[in-house]
Amino acid sequence: MMRSLGKNRSHAATVRGRETALPYLLIAPTVAVLVALSIYPLIYAVRISLQTGSGEAARWSLANFTRLASDKFFIEALAHTFIYAVVALTFEFLLGLGLAVLLDRPLRGRSLFRSALLIPMMLPPVVVGVVWRLMLNPDFGAINGTLKGAGVNTESLTWTASPVLALASVIAVDIWQWTPFMFLVLLAGLQAIPQEPYEAAIVDGSTAWQTFRYVTLPLLKPAILIALLLRTMDLLRVFDQIFILTEGGPGFSTETVSLYIYRTAFRFSDFGYAAAMSFVLLLLTNIVSVGYIRLLQKQEAA
Amino acid sequence: MSERYAARKVAKSQSPAKQGRPGATRTRLARWSKYVLLSAAVLAAVTPVYWMVTISLKSEVDQFASPPRWFAFTPTLAHYYDAFFTRSFAKYLTTSLTVAGLSTICAVTLGTLAAYGLARFKLRGKLDQRLSLWILSTRMFPPIVTAVPLFLMMRDLRLLNTITSLVIVYTALNLPFVVWMMRGFFRELPRELEEAAMVDGDSRLGALVRVILPLVTPGLAATAVFCLIVSWNEFLLALVLTQTDASMTLPVGIAGRVTQYEIKWGVMSAAGVVAMIPILAFAMAVQRYLVRGLSL
Repeated sequence: MMRSLGKNRSHAATVRGRETALPYLLIAPTVAVLVALSIYPLIYAVRISLQTGSGEAARWSLANFTRLASDKFFIEALAHTFIYAVVALTFEFLLGLGLAVLLDRPLRGRSLFRSALLIPMMLPPVVVGVVWRLMLNPDFGAINGTLKGAGVNTESLTWTASPVLALASVIAVDIWQWTPFMFLVLLAGLQAIPQEPYEAAIVDGSTAWQTFRYVTLPLLKPAILIALLLRTMDLLRVFDQIFILTEGGPGFSTETVSLYIYRTAFRFSDFGYAAAMSFVLLLLTNIVSVGYIRLLQKQEAA
Repeated sequence: MSERYAARKVAKSQSPAKQGRPGATRTRLARWSKYVLLSAAVLAAVTPVYWMVTISLKSEVDQFASPPRWFAFTPTLAHYYDAFFTRSFAKYLTTSLTVAGLSTICAVTLGTLAAYGLARFKLRGKLDQRLSLWILSTRMFPPIVTAVPLFLMMRDLRLLNTITSLVIVYTALNLPFVVWMMRGFFRELPRELEEAAMVDGDSRLGALVRVILPLVTPGLAATAVFCLIVSWNEFLLALVLTQTDASMTLPVGIAGRVTQYEIKWGVMSAAGVVAMIPILAFAMAVQRYLVRGLSL
């Protein structure tokens, strides 16, 4: 008895001895991979953004950053990104909230509706591009075909090929693809709200709108903030669908910051300037996310 | 959950506004308008995808018909044959499968070990918490920020246009996600489980493999499926790192066709349908974990 106890204790001691090293051994590979492929690239980008010329002729300078302020294409790309993000976010939020409210209560066929509504969000972005090139094609696309059938003159409705409509078209595609995400996160938020406040509201004789405005919305605020945060981050970096739909065109009318950086680096091989612009994008997304996180913390403290 | 609805229903039937005949009509009207709105939304979500499927199955005559033929056309598999047997899409498909599979295995293996270390050990100076947050923060970079230096690094290492480069990059892309998902699943299990196994003579890793992993298998599977989806869908980094027929993934292959001067709509749609099917199947499989997985 005593002997087995002693044996156990020494076993436990060796386990503990080994354990001082074990967690580090478990974590080290992951940290190594992330340092090599997330942190080192950032340092690399800092270096090339602070250099002009290449190879032997490379020189340290701030030229890439001073150039940003006077680059009207960059300013325009920023403006497109901003418009794109604000408009898409507004529509995605309102539509997503509406759908979430519709599906919050039990309903026959509820899970079927839910699954079907999530389809656009699941598609590979490239497939979304293909789908909407087919829909929006001015000559044989389903949209203009249907409009023509209804007697509408579609000559000027060239969607992604029109300088006027192109930005609106790519925004509409984003709304189509990502409203389901808002819907999903807000629905989860609605379902997590306890029953009691609703009962209290009914006892007080509140109308449906009052209940929604003064009970549901305040309780849903954390979910709303998280959904808005995640979507904003993605909207600011948008690339894939626009690349497939318009490649930033016609002209420059749908060029966002990510597309402009891509073009600068991989069409014009100006890697230093591309890196400098990518830091502006990084800074922008950081500011926005810190803002949201502050709001979230204030919400939790309240 | 159902109790809550029952309670709500009771509350609803007791509310004065819902009593009497006019109220009943109003409720029925409200229910019908709900169905109409939801059906409209589902139609809007699904119709464009259905249109692509029909284009992939239509002969060129039917594709360019006006008004558009939604149902009345003679289906043909010619575009699928063309895409996957006479063009290189079978190759892109193999590359996509290989890259997604290998990078998922790497990310899930490394990430699960790290997640276990971070979930179960208190490290000096709250290092465990700080490391967790740092790992999560690497997920916040916009991909274009790392795409430029990664391209140059891979060029220096002579790894451009190789499957290896994509496997490495996607492993890093998925790692933070795996760590956070699995850390959450591990933390839901009581510590006593391993402690009991270790008293019985198991080593720590033995306890992890024999006791803990079987309990987190559903979560582990869901995490792996999310990684597969991300790797399968990823476009920007693949576009930057692979440009040859032998190394490009399905999304890059499709994009190359879309932006060409003369577009083969049927071939492109066929490839799009094939790229979409596994993703929809996967997504249905992990529905239960969607919110958790997507808000990370």
